[in-house]
Amino acid sequence: MTPRSLLLVHPVTWTIWLGTTLLTVSLTRNPLYLLLLLFGLTLVAETERPTGRATPLDPIFFAVIAVSFGALFNAATIRYGDTVLVALPTSWWLIGGPITLEAIVFGMINGLVLSALVAGFGAFGTAMPISALISLVPRAFYPLAVVMSVAVTYVPLTIRLAGQVREAQQLRGHQVRVWRDGLPLLLPLLIGGLERALQLAEAMAARGFAADPPSNQVRMMLVGGLAALFAGLLLQFAWGQVVAASVTLLIGTALILWALRESGQQAPRTRYRVYRRGIRDMMVLLGAGLTLVAVLAPWPGRASLAYTPYPTLQLPIFEPLLAFALMGLLMPVAVRLGDRYLP
Amino acid sequence: MIEFAQLSYRYPDQPQVCLDQVSLALPAGSFTLVIGPSGSGKSTLLRCLNGLVPHFSGGEVAGSVRVAAYDPIALGPRVMSRHVGMVFQSPEAQFVLERVEDEIAFALEHAAVPREQLRIRVEEVLDLLDLAPLRDRLLTTLSGGERQRVAIAATLALQPMVLVLDEPTSQLDPQSADDVLQALVRLNHDLGLTIVLAEHRSERVLPIVDLVVALDRAGRVVSGPPREILANSPLCPPLVTVARAAGWQPLPLSIKEARPFATRQGLAQQDAIAVGKTGEAGRASETGSPRPPRPYLEIRGLEAGYGTTPVLRNLDLTIAAGEITLLMGRNGIGKSTLLKCMIGLVRPRRGEIRIAGRSIAGRDIAAISRELACLPQEPESMLFADTVADELRTTLRNHRLPVNEALIDELLAQLGLSERRERYPRDLSIGERQRVALGAISITRPGGLLLDEPTRGLDYEAKAMLGGLLRQWSREGTAIIVVSHDVEFVAEIADRVLILGQGGLIADGTPWNVLGNSPLFAPQIARIFPGRGWLTASDALQGLQDK
Repeated sequence: MTPRSLLLVHPVTWTIWLGTTLLTVSLTRNPLYLLLLLFGLTLVAETERPTGRATPLDPIFFAVIAVSFGALFNAATIRYGDTVLVALPTSWWLIGGPITLEAIVFGMINGLVLSALVAGFGAFGTAMPISALISLVPRAFYPLAVVMSVAVTYVPLTIRLAGQVREAQQLRGHQVRVWRDGLPLLLPLLIGGLERALQLAEAMAARGFAADPPSNQVRMMLVGGLAALFAGLLLQFAWGQVVAASVTLLIGTALILWALRESGQQAPRTRYRVYRRGIRDMMVLLGAGLTLVAVLAPWPGRASLAYTPYPTLQLPIFEPLLAFALMGLLMPVAVRLGDRYLP
Repeated sequence: MIEFAQLSYRYPDQPQVCLDQVSLALPAGSFTLVIGPSGSGKSTLLRCLNGLVPHFSGGEVAGSVRVAAYDPIALGPRVMSRHVGMVFQSPEAQFVLERVEDEIAFALEHAAVPREQLRIRVEEVLDLLDLAPLRDRLLTTLSGGERQRVAIAATLALQPMVLVLDEPTSQLDPQSADDVLQALVRLNHDLGLTIVLAEHRSERVLPIVDLVVALDRAGRVVSGPPREILANSPLCPPLVTVARAAGWQPLPLSIKEARPFATRQGLAQQDAIAVGKTGEAGRASETGSPRPPRPYLEIRGLEAGYGTTPVLRNLDLTIAAGEITLLMGRNGIGKSTLLKCMIGLVRPRRGEIRIAGRSIAGRDIAAISRELACLPQEPESMLFADTVADELRTTLRNHRLPVNEALIDELLAQLGLSERRERYPRDLSIGERQRVALGAISITRPGGLLLDEPTRGLDYEAKAMLGGLLRQWSREGTAIIVVSHDVEFVAEIADRVLILGQGGLIADGTPWNVLGNSPLFAPQIARIFPGRGWLTASDALQGLQDK
């Protein structure tokens, strides 16, 4: 019997889902699909959000900021496009010249792409507990994974500390007028953060967490591997010995990987939660697979992913079949909502 | 089980020893309380048990420590973590993961405990500490007491022989602190776990411990049964102070043990006529005059909340100049929200707040804080300057007031910080840091002061000093509002006590009227001598003398 998990699908499935999401968003320039993806990914994050956890960054709010900033930035810096809204005197540094509708739309699309990427990462981060993320990391990199998890756990603490510092400084009449006025906010935050880090380090030491000292054999392999990599680079770039360089680089890489493997085996760890794959994983993978096929396979509808407002703004094409395929990324929502009906 | 033999320890770059030839022995299965003033080396002594001292801190060690057959100084915390579990003051500063169950399993995974055993151990500690219903919860959604129990569970999962706790209840409200202590008693009684606990507020712990280790500022140690040590210790709760003065033998350590002595002396119950005669009347004469009638802070029809959740509803309150008002109530009931409304950090949905006759609506926080200064729960958030005096100068500059060195000297003298004037504030003790922050907010000479949980982490001496300071300022006409869970402190200094319930005030009166008969908030003295109007040790001593 294994401990009950709040994670409905395997961490590897979530990782594949994230990879598909990022690839899909990166290949899409059509604002209609981007909007669809943004709302869909926000929905995934919302259904996965555990009770009591605040949303660290609302993707819709972020999108409003990013789209507005993208539009303003492009309007001020890009002079291309047929539909001139207003022409500023060319003598005005940087922003002088015609401001076009096409440039504004292009900037907005950039903002949408960024927002959809953030929403994808947000949904993944919300769904995956830190312990599940650590379980994905190979044993040799375990200490690094724990450091990362501590860093992630520290984010909400630091945000809270920043709020406390801001309020405390306001209570003694502090107001930010020039950049130097930021010091009373920054210093207590920095010092407080360091104090907390020391407390945590002490607590972790008391619980027996300390990096295992590597054996001499592992050290030798690491040093040898790094030396071989360095020699390989020299051979490649200083002396142009391509074959010798390739062999040396290969040996160096093999030595380092072997050292890491040995180091991992010297520090045995057990796992409390063992995640198993099942029908839910199948559903999420099928959904992601459908999206992946739709955006990669050569079929006519795929062309509608691309869009450019230049030189003259036109309405983007909407292909219902492609939109349906993109909704494959929403399968985690179906799994979460239909969990009680699944075996 | 635990043996210190002539152990001396000096921190790096410190001229004086922190522990001076400490020798003591604690048997297996005992529950030991470590007491001592701030900076006396309590935490250092505890950290010697698992090798954090000297392995984490550095420094010079002489003498030896043995925990069972192990030598923590030679083995270090990595090995000792299997035998000695340690829980720290702040629960959230020791968590690595975000969920209860994962956090408990973390150290076991790291120790490569086989999976089957790992599962059993997690279930066992979840049950031992009543955490099973919380197993899936995010740690950020738990109360302070629940989080501290998770920290204890995470430590116990490694099945240590000794559990060491460094002031685990100092940041908790009374209910949460009781939950944690009850869990410790269960572990000690049911599992025979050896427990060593450092704690400032000994009144809660004394009835449950077998041994007391008392440290002084020179790093010297005495140890023995609680009655023996407390017979001469300056750090004792009000009950013991009164019992010692009255010559009660054997020395009572709990209300239950003290009541028969009070009954024998005919002091257990008193008719209503005498109520308040010695206690509150006495304190009224100490303050010199009846309560000044001039209102300093007026709140009318206040409604406030966060999002759609209302916290305060239709609240009316008037605070007079020169009055010390204590605000109590359970965690999350809205005490801090009320304070934040008073200083403009939270905008009320409805109602009006007036300070010295002027509404605060539309005024910025800086302007309000010149008239009503506020000391937040974490005074460290305020401190950043290089010296104590600079902290006070910074506030004056913030308010664009002239930097008056004479005023700074006068305030530092009042705060007992004259000798610390050029010290770096964060190097000072908790009590001193708090007084620096108090100086930083009050250098503008405001007519009102708000203090949010000012006694957290303070020892008896620091609390007495803070109480004296507040009394002095109230005599000078300052209106003071203190939010606190510390009933003994409240009983010592309050002119008036308010209790905040769901949505608004549910009690408002003199300390005796509000605290005297409260099953939850009554201080030790009121429980021993019900119906006499005595709340503090000095009330009782005066009353006994009169009798």
